[in-house]
Amino acid sequence: MIQLGTSTRGALSRERDVREAYAAHSGELYGFAVRSLGDAGLAEEAVQETFVRAWRAGDRFDPKIGSLRTWLFAILRNVVIDLGRARAVRPAVAEGGIEPSVEPLDEALLAWQVEEAMRRLGEDHRRVLVETYYRGRPYAEVAEELGVPEGTVKSRVYYGLRALRVVLEEMGYED
Amino acid sequence: MKTRNDCREWRELLGAYALGHLEGDERAGLEAHLEGCGACREELAALAPVARMLPHADPARFELAPEPPPELGRRIASTIEGEKAAAKQRRRRRTLGGFAFGGAAAAVAAVLILFVFGGGDPAGQPEQQVKFAGLPEGIAIDATLQPHAYGTEIHMYVHGVPSGTLCRVWLRGPNGVSYPAGTFRYRWGDDSDAVLSSALDISRTRQLVVDTGKRTFVAPVNPPGPTATIRQEEST
Repeated sequence: MIQLGTSTRGALSRERDVREAYAAHSGELYGFAVRSLGDAGLAEEAVQETFVRAWRAGDRFDPKIGSLRTWLFAILRNVVIDLGRARAVRPAVAEGGIEPSVEPLDEALLAWQVEEAMRRLGEDHRRVLVETYYRGRPYAEVAEELGVPEGTVKSRVYYGLRALRVVLEEMGYED
Repeated sequence: MKTRNDCREWRELLGAYALGHLEGDERAGLEAHLEGCGACREELAALAPVARMLPHADPARFELAPEPPPELGRRIASTIEGEKAAAKQRRRRRTLGGFAFGGAAAAVAAVLILFVFGGGDPAGQPEQQVKFAGLPEGIAIDATLQPHAYGTEIHMYVHGVPSGTLCRVWLRGPNGVSYPAGTFRYRWGDDSDAVLSSALDISRTRQLVVDTGKRTFVAPVNPPGPTATIRQEEST
């Protein structure tokens, strides 16, 4: 089960609350929108529609059910579905080398979470995970390239996974 | 070869082990250590879900961190400001409409007493707010009925039932006959109203019925009069 966000806030019925919510969450929402829609213009549209819907329904936000971040992602998910349906009648155009996601939306959300968490890792940790796991390179080869003992690559993989877990937890992931 | 007592060194192999990268003696040695070390087993259990998530990510996207354009925040603020201004204008028009009506009545030297039920519009068409009483804790349902020539438009808001619940809606007339108004699905996170319509005239509507599959909720619809009930008294 993927949970997003742990912080709780008040309603979004005031414009100041929307501004604060935008400052806190727009980057992630936009990143996921681009990931899902593969189009920067559509992603902007999706994020705008998300905050406008959130503002309209601000007094209905209930922090006892979930965090503001979770609520905004839930709204964005519906907006992305709506935009995806609208786009189904016209061809997709990728921008800036970003290919539109073809995964089901929940899979795209999981993928985006891991990718965002990897971006937040330190360079040393991300590097060893990319080289050993994603590129499937032997530890000895990676160690030689980095100029460190093979044991150090293994320990970096361990601390990298630990760090990744911490980042995912900060993002609201619960297993 | 590491000794069984060197827990930290064994532990630093847990990442490679969780990814399925340990082989031979190192793998066998770590597995032997895990048998006798609860702390390392716990640590492995904490890393395993993270390792299982890795295949979902696309490493080509690790370097892509798109940022929203700076003007997007301003655009959202401006859209919200525009909606607020439009709502304010609508409220002002309603208020002015009421005053104009009262002024015309005064001109014929009569005393008009207005009892306003719900939010009427200048044309005297009543819009009705429907409240559901005695709902289970956590469930909220409300609705607004608007009269039309074709029947009644219904704006439904449901909250607190399981996401994906299919909701069926009817209007019921004075003789108990139900007129279907349509269906919608409740989706958590989507707080927009579902807009439905029924052929039953609002003036003949006595109940609003919402069926969520497991439960049916019924709310009374007030017998509608004109938005403003006008009693005229002769001046003496």
